[in-house]
Amino acid sequence: MAVVGRERCLSRPEELFAYECDGLTLHRARPAAVVLPLDTGEVARIVRACRRQGVPFVARGAGTGLSGGALALGGGVVIECARMDRVLELDPLERYAVVQPGVVNARLSELAAPHGLFYAPDPSSQQACTIGGNVAENSGGPHTLKYGTTTHHVLAVQMVLPDGEVVRLGSVAGWAPGYDLLGAVVGSEGTLGVVTEVTVRLLPLPEAVETLLAVFPDVVSACRAVGEVIRGGLVPAALEIVDRRTIEAVEASVYAAGLPRDAGAVLLAELDGAPEALAGQVERVRRIAGAAGATRVEVARDEEERQRFWRARKGAFGAMGRLAPDLYVHDAVVPRPRLPEVLEAVCAIGDRYGLKLANVFHAGDGNLHPNICFDRRDPDELRRVVAAGEEILRTCVEAGGVITGEHGIGTEKRDYMPLLFSEEDLDAMRRLRAAFDPDGVCNPGKVFPTTRFCVESDPKARGYDRVPL
Amino acid sequence: MSLDPERLGRALGGDALLQHEPLDVAGVKLATTLRPADGERLAAALRLLDEAGAAALVRGRGTRLGFGNAPRRADLLLETTRLAGIDVLDADEGVAHAAAGTPLAELHAAAREAGWELPIEAPSPDATLGGALASAAAGPRVLRHGPPRDHVLGLRVALATGERTTCGGRVVKNVTGYDLMKLHCGAFGTLGVIEAAWLRLRPLPEETRVLCAWLPEGEPGFAPGLAAARLGSARAVALVDPALAGRVDPGGPVRGRRLLVVELGGAPEEVRRDRAALEAHDPAEVGPEALQRLAALQETPDPAHGLRFRLVLRPTRLEAAAAPLARAGAALLAYPGAGFLFAGFPLYEGADELAVDAAWRAARDAARAGGGSFALEAAPLWAKSGRDVFGDPPEALALMRALKARFDPRGVLNPGRFVGGI
Repeated sequence: MAVVGRERCLSRPEELFAYECDGLTLHRARPAAVVLPLDTGEVARIVRACRRQGVPFVARGAGTGLSGGALALGGGVVIECARMDRVLELDPLERYAVVQPGVVNARLSELAAPHGLFYAPDPSSQQACTIGGNVAENSGGPHTLKYGTTTHHVLAVQMVLPDGEVVRLGSVAGWAPGYDLLGAVVGSEGTLGVVTEVTVRLLPLPEAVETLLAVFPDVVSACRAVGEVIRGGLVPAALEIVDRRTIEAVEASVYAAGLPRDAGAVLLAELDGAPEALAGQVERVRRIAGAAGATRVEVARDEEERQRFWRARKGAFGAMGRLAPDLYVHDAVVPRPRLPEVLEAVCAIGDRYGLKLANVFHAGDGNLHPNICFDRRDPDELRRVVAAGEEILRTCVEAGGVITGEHGIGTEKRDYMPLLFSEEDLDAMRRLRAAFDPDGVCNPGKVFPTTRFCVESDPKARGYDRVPL
Repeated sequence: MSLDPERLGRALGGDALLQHEPLDVAGVKLATTLRPADGERLAAALRLLDEAGAAALVRGRGTRLGFGNAPRRADLLLETTRLAGIDVLDADEGVAHAAAGTPLAELHAAAREAGWELPIEAPSPDATLGGALASAAAGPRVLRHGPPRDHVLGLRVALATGERTTCGGRVVKNVTGYDLMKLHCGAFGTLGVIEAAWLRLRPLPEETRVLCAWLPEGEPGFAPGLAAARLGSARAVALVDPALAGRVDPGGPVRGRRLLVVELGGAPEEVRRDRAALEAHDPAEVGPEALQRLAALQETPDPAHGLRFRLVLRPTRLEAAAAPLARAGAALLAYPGAGFLFAGFPLYEGADELAVDAAWRAARDAARAGGGSFALEAAPLWAKSGRDVFGDPPEALALMRALKARFDPRGVLNPGRFVGGI
């Protein structure tokens, strides 16, 4: 492409291979080309060139998304933002930063740390995922319980609209006149334009952090403790539960955190804030956990121990991943008090389909992540993975929940949208889409139920795509 | 209007149609008010209005009805007060579901009773939930609470074209589909009418304390205000001009001195520590009514007696931005940590366009100096003419117009009242 030169434009099959899928390996589609712009001007020129040639386009960050959001459907062009990785401004006094979309999430917090600040949203993939991708997906993470998701931390964006125009939304002052288009863009899965600059809020680092690890005989009692903590008016930074199946996998792996293998569930609670107030809160959580049936409650004595506790949670994906070639990380949310029964149902579904399924979840938010290990080369296992996934989503919706809490709809769940939304509801979303992208050229085939854009290159994945509702 | 009142009455129930003496609303005389009894009828009403090519001004209890440009046209008032009631207040989960016409005060009381706090405020004690959401209302605790949109988990909205829609849900974390809640919050009812909302509550702080301190004469107060706002337990910080300060703390009127009001809340140990950090200002402890008085100050002067601007600026630039306003004779109320500035200009008998122009220019200059925006929240009708009360047009105005055209193609809801005459 003339805009970026040959060096930053990939079009040979072996170069495109890596862009066939994101973190969701089930769905694949090969893009027509991949371009690597350096700034807003180049993105605008690429978008205009795509329009002239009538090809759709999609922005991509690190490709860690878990719902197929960065797939280029319909022979589209991938606008890879990884090289737009500069931090343009960091204002420690006013506590904000202006970054290009390719800045890696964890790097932003590292740069802010010397000023006593941090960037709050911390998805599990934060060592790799980019701020641009986080904006597209409205990413969360374990600490959203206290700090909220990406949408609460984005003050403004600059974006290239699907017609190639450049526009700024929001304001570093926090409130901007007119419709809150910024709020609509965050979490729109890259379907409204290409974000090329992001102004994010930075928060002061907590003065003190305390991390507890409580071992329970079963998930129900761990969930009960979580309920009591929240009812008691405490707002921990994180409340995470790891189930027995995950503990077994973690302890058998390099991520071993020294958990008793016969434990039914482990609750990880993190509290942060003023040191004067923390001691009392830690004591309250300890008492609540004990009363709910915890057989052991430990408080991390130092940072090393705190990291060990977190390994039990963060190592879950890696530990599960080594059990089979593919890992399907599910994502759904239910009203928190319904967690125990839904978890039981989820495990029963996994067993019924003969799958290796384990749970780690953001218990405080009611956000489940059933992980299923599988081998997508085995067509029968693939069929079972898909069928179980659908049953899990239905179970969550029936419990008053939703089908994604932080991974997005993408191609993965677009055909499940009618589980939650009527045709009128979806039409309202289409009106927003049409105001930004009347011709539907920006990341087409995502979010909305459709049969038009098939996920093409992988025959097995195509089978998945045809799963009826 | 080719709208047949009898047909409306049949569709919505006779008691939903109220004919009354003409009310002057934003310069338009309206003698009809529609008060649908439920969401179905609200959507039905909008369908009928849309078909008939009629236009409605939407109101809850009308406490913010004065804010906005003069409507291009209007045939009737559409009121949400009969859509009232709290269906769910889940004390375990900290979420609530309430209809749009529910008084905010009722929600605050119910949440408090259950040990929770609804982090949404409005300047008027009579405001409804729907009105507070639609107008992106803010009160003295905006420092801690942020914008109302941050606490909305899901919405039921009757679109201008008559569809009854849902977005979001009851769970506290959700990225299923587009976040249309953000669009409706702050849209002043120009895309649809909010029927009900799922709200996220916050735990009540274990302890709260309100402190008032009279600053030394001549001290502008922005630096100590910002410092107070950065205390971990600060919930509200206000800086009140000498001219207004007596209305917040009548016990300590000191001429020429500004008043610093701080609400701390949280764990007792933290509140104690932060209170000690304020000791240098020699504060006095006052009751929570001080915050209600601040909220009332946000609404003065009333439009009959003056102009009132609301500016949202970068907190570190407030002092520089306040200068042109003070020079132009404004009385200021500031929420330093949140970057809020309320500037009131009295209009004396015989005041004319020149006076309005001077105030307008001061507000605009302040907004530019402060890196933020300004809006003329209250003014007599004649003073609004020829101006967009929402201030300088946003860069994305064309997109906003496109959005309005998709949601309300025939201009049924509040036509002309919003940003850029949307």
